[in-house]
Parts: sequence; C-alpha cells; structure tokens
Amino acid sequence: MRRGLLRYALTALGVSVLLATAAQAGAQEKSRLDLVLERGKLIVVTMSTAPPFAFTDEKGQLVGFDIDIVRLLTTALFKDPNKVEFVIVTAEGRWPAIESGRADMGVGGTTVYPDRAVRVAFTRPFIDSGISVLVSKKAGIRSVADLNQEKHTVANLNNPQMADRAKRFFPRTKVLTFDTPSAQLLAVRSGRAQALQIDTPTAEWWAHQNKEELEVLPGFLGASQNNAIYLKPGDFKWWQWLDTSVAELRTGSWYPQYSDVYQKWFGKNPPPQKFYLPRQ
Amino acid sequence: MSYARWFTIYGPSYLNALGWTALTAVLASLGAVVWGCVLLLFRLAGGPWGARGVDAYMQAFRNTPVLLPIYLIYFGFPLIGLPWPAVICGGLALVLQNGAYVSEILRGSFKAIDRVQFDAAKSIGLSPWHTFRKITLPQVLVYSIPSLGNQVVLLLKDTSLLSAITVTELTMQAKLLTEQTGAAYEAFMVVAILYLILVSGTEVLFRVAHRAVRWR
Repeated sequence: MRRGLLRYALTALGVSVLLATAAQAGAQEKSRLDLVLERGKLIVVTMSTAPPFAFTDEKGQLVGFDIDIVRLLTTALFKDPNKVEFVIVTAEGRWPAIESGRADMGVGGTTVYPDRAVRVAFTRPFIDSGISVLVSKKAGIRSVADLNQEKHTVANLNNPQMADRAKRFFPRTKVLTFDTPSAQLLAVRSGRAQALQIDTPTAEWWAHQNKEELEVLPGFLGASQNNAIYLKPGDFKWWQWLDTSVAELRTGSWYPQYSDVYQKWFGKNPPPQKFYLPRQ
Repeated sequence: MSYARWFTIYGPSYLNALGWTALTAVLASLGAVVWGCVLLLFRLAGGPWGARGVDAYMQAFRNTPVLLPIYLIYFGFPLIGLPWPAVICGGLALVLQNGAYVSEILRGSFKAIDRVQFDAAKSIGLSPWHTFRKITLPQVLVYSIPSLGNQVVLLLKDTSLLSAITVTELTMQAKLLTEQTGAAYEAFMVVAILYLILVSGTEVLFRVAHRAVRWR
C-alpha cells in the first residue's frame, strides 16, 4: 500500500517535471530580434497622417520624426537606413498589426497610457509631447475656457483619452470623433468643428502650414505625455534591444544623431542628454 | 480575455450602433429606390438629353468609390453653408450612388415589359404619366425585387464607411472599443456576426417579398 503511494507520488512528480520542461521549451520561442536579423529588414507599423511624426510629403514619401528614428534603429541593425518596410494603418489598426505579428514594432505619435500597456508593450519614450488645442482663427476662440460653450464643436480622435479630456476641459462643447488625424484637420478646415485636440508638435505643424487659418491655443490639456515604440508584449530580448537603443538615442552614445533628427523636424535642440550636463 | 467575458462587458454598447446601421440602411435603401425611379423616369421621358444626362450621372457615380461622395458631401457642404449632420450627409451619398445602380436594375426590368402593353395603354387614352405610374412602374419594381435585394445588401455593407465621418454605427463602435481596450479581434468579431445576421435577415425578407408578389 505504502509502496503504491510512493510510486504514485514519484510518477506524479515525474509527469509534472516533464510538463514544466515542455512549457519552458514552448516559452523559449525565437525572439523577434533573431527573426529581424535573419530576414534582413525591419517591418514597422505606422500611421501616415500624423505630421510631423509620420506623414506623407508632397512627393508621396513617408517621412517624419518617428520615421527618422526608425531609420536610425535600422542603421543600428543593418548599417543601412533603408532596410525597413513600413505598414501604414489607421489609429485602431495599430494594435492588431503587432498582436498578429504582421509588424515587428510600431511608431507614429503613439502615446503611452497605462491602460494601453495592458495589451501592448512600450519602450521608454523617445520624445515627450503635450496635447494642444488647434483652433480655426475665424471662430474667435482665445482660450480653452472660450472653447467650453455649447455653440462650439471639437474634433477628437477615436481613443478614450480624447473623450476623457473633452469631458474634463470642455464638457459643454459638442464632440465629433474621427479615425485619422487628417480627418480631424479636415473637420476644422471645412467648418464642421472649430477646434481639435492633438499632440502639440502635430498641432504646431498644422498651424505653421496654415498660418492665416489656424492657430494653437496657449497651454496644454493636462500633463506632458510620452510617445514610445510599441511592440507585442512577452518578447524580452526584442524589447530589451529596442529599449536599450532608445536609451542610447535619448541619453547616450547616439545622442548626436538623435539631436540631428530632432533639429530637422522641430527646429530646436532636444531636451539635454543628461540633466547635469549643460545644454549644447 | 475570453470572448464570453468580453461580450458581457462590451456587448450592450453595440445595441445603439446596431440601431444606427439598421436605420441608415433602411432609409438609404428607400431613398435609393425612389431616386432610381426618378432617374428611370428621366431616361424614359427626358428625350435624348435626359438619357445622356442620366448616362453621365451613372458614369460619375459608378466609376468612383462611394467613400469619395461621402467625404465630399460631409466635408464640402459646410463650405457652401450647409453643415448637415453626418448621418444625413452619409445617407445622401449612399442614396446618390446606389440610386444610380438601382436605375440600371430598373431599366433592365423595363426592357422585359412587352411593348404591346404601351400600345394598349395609348389606345384606352392613358396619359404618359399614368402609363408610367400604373403600368410601367409596378411591373418594373416587381421584376426587380431579387436584384434590388442584392443592391440593398451592398448598401447595408457600405454603411460601414460612414464610420469615417463620425457616425457611430457598427464599424465605428468596433473601432472605438478597439482603441479603448486594445482587443481588436473580439471587437471586430462581434461586428462581423452582427453584419452577418443583418444581411441574412435582409435576404430572407426579399425572398419572402418576391414570393408574395410575383405573378404565377
């Protein structure tokens, strides 16, 4: 009887060890990093209507700050900024594109939110950004308080953070919800809406392009936010490489290249490399 | 997240969207049939210029994706002082395009009517308008029911494009939930099933209608 029990316990132990090893073997999938290196090019999901982060210029080329950051990463991987394929999607197409493995990573004015981080992994931010309000000059809106009236309409993107900010900062204003930043801009330019909320660099870019028509309201809606690279969670090696590279760009050995790209798109120096170093 | 749990949390939020999809589809279908009849009338009674005008209209709408008139009307009309609500603008675009197709369907059915009937109508003294209303139109509509059913199904699916101009129909609802929860597969799977139900229902409805009115 006793020996039977012992044998049973030993068998159970053996089986559980076997199962655990099998599970471990399953977990040790090939990292995306190896896959990317083998493939010889990086596949990146992005939006094409979020200037100056990622947009198509007059020649139809995909350009922008985020695009140039990706090209720096590509240079680090392959010594060639062009070994990259961009997959262009709308705002809500970003998440399935990386979840399904269609793309290795994503960029494009993408803000880090804790509730988003439940489903996707983010690297540390490569740029920070406020949220600004862009208004049509015709509307005579001088401040966020002016905007908060029933007669005005604001154009949002279809993410819940936009809806939350609208409720908090201008609860009386009517809201329209679009699925691309370009549709938001079109709404303001056509008079559908008098204002829109978007990442500050995008708002400033559009105001600069349409000086007679549009302007950015002073101040930000809420806190300064982080824009980062997003990827499928769970692949530590791949995340680690990306995160390390972003750290090097922002604060380390590739800060000069990062500064050049920052200068090119924003016409000013990036935040200092380290807080204790003087601004260059 | 399991589908069952996801559906219990977010399922109810689809009801409103389902209503908008059904409403726009029904109203735009009715509008398209009426507009198709009007176009047919122009073609039959408008002389050579009427027919040419209808042809030009057909070419313009058949050879452009429906998203284009949707954008043009929604973003263009405010510029000429007509800031109509998104549903109206989108519905109008659907009516204008599908009306073109409907008028072609009706024209096909019109050709199936025996010419003798028009001679008979003339001989008993019916005016052209009465001939159209009492003899041509009823037969044309009945002959067209199966093809109209197809067109309504296409229109129903095209309502998903109204998500581009802020209408919170099924596709927009899926987009909103995807952005909120990141659960793209769940959100769109529910929408796929709802569209399937709507389309199957429409097909059954047209089959029943066809059986009820066709001549034996």
